Amino acid sequence: MAGAIKHLKAAYKRAVGLNKPGKSLVILPDDVFLVSFPKSGNTWTRFLVANLRFPNEPATFANINRLIPDPTATARRDFDRMPRPRIIKSHECFDPRYPRVINVVRDPRDVVVSQYHYHRKIKKIADDSPIEKFVTRFLAGETCPHGSWGQNVATWLYTSEGNPRYLLLRYEDLIADTPRELAKVAGFLNLPTSPELLAQAVERSSADRMRKLEKEQDHGLYRNSRKDMSFVRAAGSGGWRKDLPLEQAGRLEKAWGSLMKHLGYELVT
Amino acid sequence: MMKRLVAGYKQFFGLNKPGRNLRVFSDDVYVVSYPKSGNTWTRFLIANLIYPDKHPDFTNINELIPDPEGVTKRHLEELPRPRYLKSHAYFDHRYPKVIHIVRDPRDVVLSEYYFDIKRSAIPDDFPLEKFVSRFVNGELNHPYGTWGENTATWFYARANSPRLLLVTYEALQSEGAREMARIAEFIGVPANPERIGFAIEQSSADRMRELEKKQGHLWSSTKRTRQDKPFVRSAKAGGWKSELSEASIAEIESAWGGLMRELGYELASGGTNASLVQTRTPSLNGEQSLAGTRSK
Repeated sequence: MAGAIKHLKAAYKRAVGLNKPGKSLVILPDDVFLVSFPKSGNTWTRFLVANLRFPNEPATFANINRLIPDPTATARRDFDRMPRPRIIKSHECFDPRYPRVINVVRDPRDVVVSQYHYHRKIKKIADDSPIEKFVTRFLAGETCPHGSWGQNVATWLYTSEGNPRYLLLRYEDLIADTPRELAKVAGFLNLPTSPELLAQAVERSSADRMRKLEKEQDHGLYRNSRKDMSFVRAAGSGGWRKDLPLEQAGRLEKAWGSLMKHLGYELVT
Repeated sequence: MMKRLVAGYKQFFGLNKPGRNLRVFSDDVYVVSYPKSGNTWTRFLIANLIYPDKHPDFTNINELIPDPEGVTKRHLEELPRPRYLKSHAYFDHRYPKVIHIVRDPRDVVLSEYYFDIKRSAIPDDFPLEKFVSRFVNGELNHPYGTWGENTATWFYARANSPRLLLVTYEALQSEGAREMARIAEFIGVPANPERIGFAIEQSSADRMRELEKKQGHLWSSTKRTRQDKPFVRSAKAGGWKSELSEASIAEIESAWGGLMRELGYELASGGTNASLVQTRTPSLNGEQSLAGTRSK
């Protein structure tokens, strides 16, 4: 009976468009997907791109799921109402249906540290859970439902690199020179741009502003998570050098070294 | 609205075809391949290996080794475990065990060409060179990506993983018993020579042609297609050497040469202009170098 009610509820939601489309999202030919493995700076990039695309509506944690929605988090109805071309967030592995893709990649040694802290924040793992254990699960692709870092990145890179409908951005480059990298996005999206517009988008997406917004907005994005740990954390690159034991960095390098080198990440073991 | 209500009704009773929304079980085995890569033959081979007493043929193959896009959710959840499923999907990290069937794209395009004529997607006299260009550029009438994309996702994401068994169509043709023994070992089925010999015999091109004559009008993939053209065609490797033009061969090799070479396919054009995208060794085994292959 409970099962039937669940089904009926789901059917009602589908009928009025309140369901989250997920993999059943109807993709339009001018859609742009902002793709990344989790904890690779996706939320920051979403803010940057949203602030560039919608200069009249500064991005916040309250509106980001509407400006650049995620098919697993936003209702189908909202997708149908979006202005075209739509920019959509995704953590999925390669999908040939995505017409245009901005792929943000980040050094997996930083990704694992970021995800480790995030899982502590959302209470998925105990506060004192050993990082070695987390690295083991991270390597096996068990810490999120989007494959391992290597699988996810490889499926995009080896199918799409060099394709004019694919833009590869490194989180590290975004940190090092945000306006320059954001200008690439503007070019890719054919958006009007000027140094002022870029500076405005960068300013509205700064770590300080995002930290402030995070404090002010009970946005529901990370409800039930620990309030003593922030979502916007270090917002830098290379933190693994101090936070990740060398032995653990070595395990990642052994598994994904060639892919990391190809992306320009220097190996230390 | 009506369409949505029908869809809702179907989902309620498990009559929808789940496709990529399939619920994956941890003991599932997937036979994965790009379309026209010998998938139906491999399904016959594997079905005859694991269910010899079910007498696999075109009338029951879709039930024995179904495609999540072709049968209902209810059917999929009622299959005996472990389930053996067929799929043309690009990489799906959830698939626990994958038999990846790969075929030379120069033969795949020919097979697709004749199949499209059979199902009246193109006329008899459609220029083959034009068809090859469309194939390379991803102008396809299916949603599985190009040959290069689809193959690369599995090949590079699961390189050297014990959960993926790479089997080429060509090796299956030339060394059937050996390749079937690999498959049997991978899925944990006793691999005695009699059992393997029986499966190969039951799946021979001659027997499949005979079955197609009797059952072709019943099978989902052939029933609404031209009956003057066979589904089981040459069942051979290397047809491209006599049928594809030099320009077509060069077009395919320049798009996917790197990946083809890594799979062991010799390039006719020497491969000097092979695409960079796939001129690399598998990425996930750690030790191999990718130096100097950064795209221009």
